Amino acid sequence: MIELTVAVIQVLLLVLLAPLASGVTRKVRAKMHTRQGTSIFQDYYDLAKLWRRCEVQPGGAGLVSRAMPPIFLGTMVIIAAGLPLIARACPVPLLGDVITVLYLMALPRFMFSLAALDSAGSYTAVGGVRELLLGVLVEPALILTLMVLALACGSTNLGVMADSVASLAAYPPVAVVVAGVAFACACYVEMGKLPFDVAEAEQELQEGPLAEFSGPSLAMLKLGMSVKQLVVASLFVAVFLPFGAASVATPLGLAAGLVLFVAKLAFVMLAAAVIENAVMRVRYQYLGRYTWFVFGLAALSFVFLVIGI
Amino acid sequence: MTRKEAAKVRPGQTHVEAVRDTFPGAVLDVARQAEDQVTITIPADMLPDVVEFLYYGRDGWLPNMVGNDERPLNGRYALYYLLSMEGADPSFVTVRAEVDPSTREFPSVTPRVPACVWSEREVRDMFGLAPVGLPDERRLVLPDDWPDDLYPLRKDSMDYRRRPAPATDVENYSFLYEGDVEETTEVPMGPLHITSDEPGHFRLFVEGEEIVDADYRLFYVHRGMEKVAESRLSYDAVTFLADRICGICGCAHSVAYAESVERAQGIEVPLRAQYIRTILLEVERLHSHLLNLGLVCHYCGFDTGFQHFFRVREKAMDLAELLTGARKTYGLNLIGGVRRDILEDQKMATVRLVRELRGDVEALVDMLLSTANFESRTAGIGRLDPKAARDFSPVGPVARGCGFARDVRFNHPFDGYAHLEGFGVRTHDGCDVQSRTLVRIEEFMDSLSMIEQLLDGAPAGPVLTEGWTYAPHKFALGYTEAPRGEDMHWAMAGDNQKCYRWRAKAATYSNWPVLRHMFRGNTVADAAIIVGSIDPCYSCTDRVTVVDVNKRTETVLTKSQLESYCRRRTHSPLKGRGDA
Repeated sequence: MIELTVAVIQVLLLVLLAPLASGVTRKVRAKMHTRQGTSIFQDYYDLAKLWRRCEVQPGGAGLVSRAMPPIFLGTMVIIAAGLPLIARACPVPLLGDVITVLYLMALPRFMFSLAALDSAGSYTAVGGVRELLLGVLVEPALILTLMVLALACGSTNLGVMADSVASLAAYPPVAVVVAGVAFACACYVEMGKLPFDVAEAEQELQEGPLAEFSGPSLAMLKLGMSVKQLVVASLFVAVFLPFGAASVATPLGLAAGLVLFVAKLAFVMLAAAVIENAVMRVRYQYLGRYTWFVFGLAALSFVFLVIGI
Repeated sequence: MTRKEAAKVRPGQTHVEAVRDTFPGAVLDVARQAEDQVTITIPADMLPDVVEFLYYGRDGWLPNMVGNDERPLNGRYALYYLLSMEGADPSFVTVRAEVDPSTREFPSVTPRVPACVWSEREVRDMFGLAPVGLPDERRLVLPDDWPDDLYPLRKDSMDYRRRPAPATDVENYSFLYEGDVEETTEVPMGPLHITSDEPGHFRLFVEGEEIVDADYRLFYVHRGMEKVAESRLSYDAVTFLADRICGICGCAHSVAYAESVERAQGIEVPLRAQYIRTILLEVERLHSHLLNLGLVCHYCGFDTGFQHFFRVREKAMDLAELLTGARKTYGLNLIGGVRRDILEDQKMATVRLVRELRGDVEALVDMLLSTANFESRTAGIGRLDPKAARDFSPVGPVARGCGFARDVRFNHPFDGYAHLEGFGVRTHDGCDVQSRTLVRIEEFMDSLSMIEQLLDGAPAGPVLTEGWTYAPHKFALGYTEAPRGEDMHWAMAGDNQKCYRWRAKAATYSNWPVLRHMFRGNTVADAAIIVGSIDPCYSCTDRVTVVDVNKRTETVLTKSQLESYCRRRTHSPLKGRGDA
């Protein structure tokens, strides 16, 4: 019962906090731009307004385009329910497996690209292709680092992995640290922030696939994308920074875990926001150079694992 | 040639002699409008030969060609090919030819000198004169729904206050594809695009993400200024209209217009007024270059840099406010001088602001150049082949980024520029976006020093000449180096205190035709930054017709923009980066 409560709390937390996180990111950006900026609650206002608007779809768009935003948001919610965020154990063990999470993360990307092609716009199609390219380039690094950690901890269950990292039992340690760094980089790319927001590049592709959505669909998609950023950041926090998460599920421990988790997440998101505003968008042809670096780090951690340091 | 002999020969004379020697009997008449401006009249069928000879044979560049309906004066139409001679004997040589009003045909120069293409298309639209052999016979300026037989700039065309009924309801402009890859996808960019605040319709022919070719259409925002100037304003009010050609480089236009009238009428502008004009032109360059540097950041997705450049740009606007009373350098020029002097305390404040700007911008530029990905986003992007540049006469940082030392301030020193010391044309030869950006950065720093030197050197004295006599039907060229390149104004006075004909050529007009060459071989992702690197000014280019933006045209375009433009052609695996 308490597990289920934890899962629900996690979902509510991430979904409700996502617009706030996005609003704070916007505020940070405004400050770095030497602008006043909008309120940190602006994203809530935007979503509320979009929700009231009517929905328009391009002529050629069909079921895929209609189904994509709910699937996108829904998948993120499911992932959020399964991660060991405030306790070290997975609230829903079925969803706590590394492989499940990785597949669940691939699903929205697939739908996103499919919907981009479905709407038949030329900019959206280019954006969809870029999103796939990003996936192809960054997913190997994600998978490899998680596999390294799984081998180091002896389980593919995220809860067990978190527990093992938190109690410093994961062996070999260097491999785990390097895997952590690689995973952080891969997560940053996966979050789709600058310089890696190639699929929605405003100046290049006019927001890419997003351009064809409106009203509630756009609201769901925007919310889904903010939740995705939080989920990806949480995944990193859960697996590589599980320190402070409740090891036993007592109400007090869970409350402390919750507070610590929010603090860690805020730190990660702020760091990402600062990086985002200090760089230019990468030319999509050169995307591979960056992801190769990340993959190289991941491979290095695997080597360390094999030789056991 | 000794110095003494050189002093006797007036600028441009050697070119006239060369034309006489090469084409015996071609020169029907030689007239001099100003010290550095000479006009030769030749028979229309000699046009391609003579213009080509001057252009390629004698280091000429073609800013513009002006059509004129001179039927009330001499019963014929006239064409003026303006050539800026920038090699030996720098001067302006205008080649004038008359066109028979019954046939209304003349041989097109475009096949020989591609730089004429837009001017000849425009003369076709505006006067109904047919350039025989013109490769591209689409409309340039007039909208699709304009009637076929109405030529706005003819003296006997419809009254400018009336508007013809639309001739068609459908958009019938065809975009031309010149690449050699057979299978391409057409990507529309515009008429309204997120990165440009003015309308322009680009069609990118792409293979995957690579642009094989591009075509574009502009002139969505015609304001009919030339017609208004001819029919409504007196010639001395046109300086204020010229200000409004551009929201950024207005002063460059009004100085160019004022000087074209002053040169034609032989008015001596006081030295102090010349200095003040020069200072204002440089202030304009400051804020325009800062704008473009900010936009380069924006196009690369680096909005932090964009916002910081715009923050610093406010100081340049303050400078304008200090010197002119308005945040823009508007409303200062009169025929014969300027309206307002620079006082001692304004001078001190200007010097202080210039110093602050120098520090701020140096820091920002360091930041920009060291930002991750700046190099990879700009180096080698939007390459303009110097050969294409030579053929099409681009101006400003576009030409200077290709290694051509084209800058009216130094090629044909005018006003205060003639008295400056220690400055030269800034060029880079990377031919890419990066070179153009670096040229702008260096020019910005030069402008700051120029303002300081001009403020120090400005002699005391009056700022306006009055009491001169007005002579009708005289014409001359006025030119300035606007931030985006040379502005060239050609004005002929009428016998009613109005302009008989005023032709304003904005810098960007010369830069659009080469854009196609810059697009080729790049990706869709770089399209915006390439357009941005010519620092385009749509409304400056779109200044001519009598029709203004009407609702109908806008609706049709928006609707068609929403349609799917994806179109597949037949198959070929060939990768192409077609050359002209």
